[in-house]
Amino acid sequence: MCSHWVLLAFCCLGQLCADQSLKPQIAAPHLATNNPTLTTVALEKPFCMFDSSLSPNKSYVIYLYAMKESASAISSLVTDNNSKPLNSTFQQTNGGQRGPYKAALFNVPNCASPPKLADVGDVNKVSDVLKQYLFRVGDDGTCLYDPNFLAVCNPPLAPDTTYRFKYVLVDSTEGMMKDQTIWSDPVKTRRVKLPLKIDTWPGRRSGGMIVITSILSVLVFLLLAGFLASVSSAVTVSEDPSAEIRRMSRTIQQSEPRPQLSSE
Amino acid sequence: MAKSDDGIRILQGLLVFGNVIIGMCGIALTAECIFFVSDPHGLYPLLEATENDDIYAAAWIGIFVGFALFALSVLGIIGVIKANRTLLLVYLILMLITFAFEMASCITAATHRDFLTPNLFLKQMLERYKKSETDNNNDKWMTEGVTKTWDKLMLQNQCCGVRGPSDWQEYTSAFRLTYNDADFPWPHNCCVMDARGSPVNLDGCKLGVPGYYNSNGCYDAISGPMNTHAWGVAWFGFAILCWTFCVLLGTMFYWSRIEY
Repeated sequence: MCSHWVLLAFCCLGQLCADQSLKPQIAAPHLATNNPTLTTVALEKPFCMFDSSLSPNKSYVIYLYAMKESASAISSLVTDNNSKPLNSTFQQTNGGQRGPYKAALFNVPNCASPPKLADVGDVNKVSDVLKQYLFRVGDDGTCLYDPNFLAVCNPPLAPDTTYRFKYVLVDSTEGMMKDQTIWSDPVKTRRVKLPLKIDTWPGRRSGGMIVITSILSVLVFLLLAGFLASVSSAVTVSEDPSAEIRRMSRTIQQSEPRPQLSSE
Repeated sequence: MAKSDDGIRILQGLLVFGNVIIGMCGIALTAECIFFVSDPHGLYPLLEATENDDIYAAAWIGIFVGFALFALSVLGIIGVIKANRTLLLVYLILMLITFAFEMASCITAATHRDFLTPNLFLKQMLERYKKSETDNNNDKWMTEGVTKTWDKLMLQNQCCGVRGPSDWQEYTSAFRLTYNDADFPWPHNCCVMDARGSPVNLDGCKLGVPGYYNSNGCYDAISGPMNTHAWGVAWFGFAILCWTFCVLLGTMFYWSRIEY
């Protein structure tokens, strides 16, 4: 705690330094539920992070740098020796593997009137609210392969990789860095599973199927048994003409003469 | 003799009544199975692609069994009223064959319904939806069927994926090979559509902002009609067979007691 205060005191002695607690945040999860995806990460824009460094008469721009977490061992500097921010691109740093690359450039977000997140419910306002509130790293799938593309390229990130982000405040006339946040917490993009691994075995049989099968099997057995019993009793009786088994007579067809009992 | 006369009259009356019910149930079974085979919800391509469409085979058997039951019940009524042993023997044998077929249909419908799990449809959706390179005509036919059916399902039922849109994010798929994740975290049919059939807000849909994408899964919309189909064929057939069993036992008893 004591060392923290000492550090802050040194910083406030005019040295350019990053505020220890301000860093890029992921966009609010209740707003952007699909975040991070396989190749994109949506970050909140830096609201009110650089207000202490802004002078009223100058114009500023914010640069967003992204790098893979593994690159921090190689280089995590975003400026050169003269405090000028680096112009590294995605291709130059091999997708953030060799160091940070510049992913975006935008105006300083308005601290006095931030966008109201409740307005996303309104169809007319939602585009503006999203544009003012967050920035999607990895949004542009075509700029890498477009030879005419001149702006800052923001290609899709790699899946299942940890990235870190940093905002840098730049004076647009001088082109010098005025302030920067610290590197964000590591953000990992999603990892995918193969559909081959999905198990489609249904498991145990349902109760209904067992009831139907068992009861119908029993019924069929009883029917066959009954059929065989009646056929065999008919054959036995017809082979025994002297039996005096009384039979129920026909009642409806009385005009036909009674046929002889013949062996079947 | 009067008592056995009455007895035989009652038995005849009961058998005629029993056969009338069988005839009506046969027609009802035929009508129900024709309804199911006509596939009003358009889900047959999904089953065809899983190569597990035996509940449709059960319905087809049901159509013919229903008609056979109706015809045989007429034969049975005539045989009982005329007390003709030959007719009744023919009736009994043909009824036993029909009973066996209907039993096969019920058991098939009940058994194959058990195979239709969410994972089955998930795997098929991931492997076939918007697959761009098909191996042969059969593969192409199934892929087109699955794609069209899923597009229609997602639009009509306002749903996405089998359990939810996260299916598209958790698994790689044939869709993912053609459509990159940055522009299509999930198919655009998962977005809430306006009156003209285009997404209300594409960015909101891609980010997963509530209200701009369909967050529920389509499994209920698939399993509901399939359950109705399978249980309709299986249990109604089972009920008919239980009734037919009693009528056949009565007919066998009657047959063994009448003389030529």
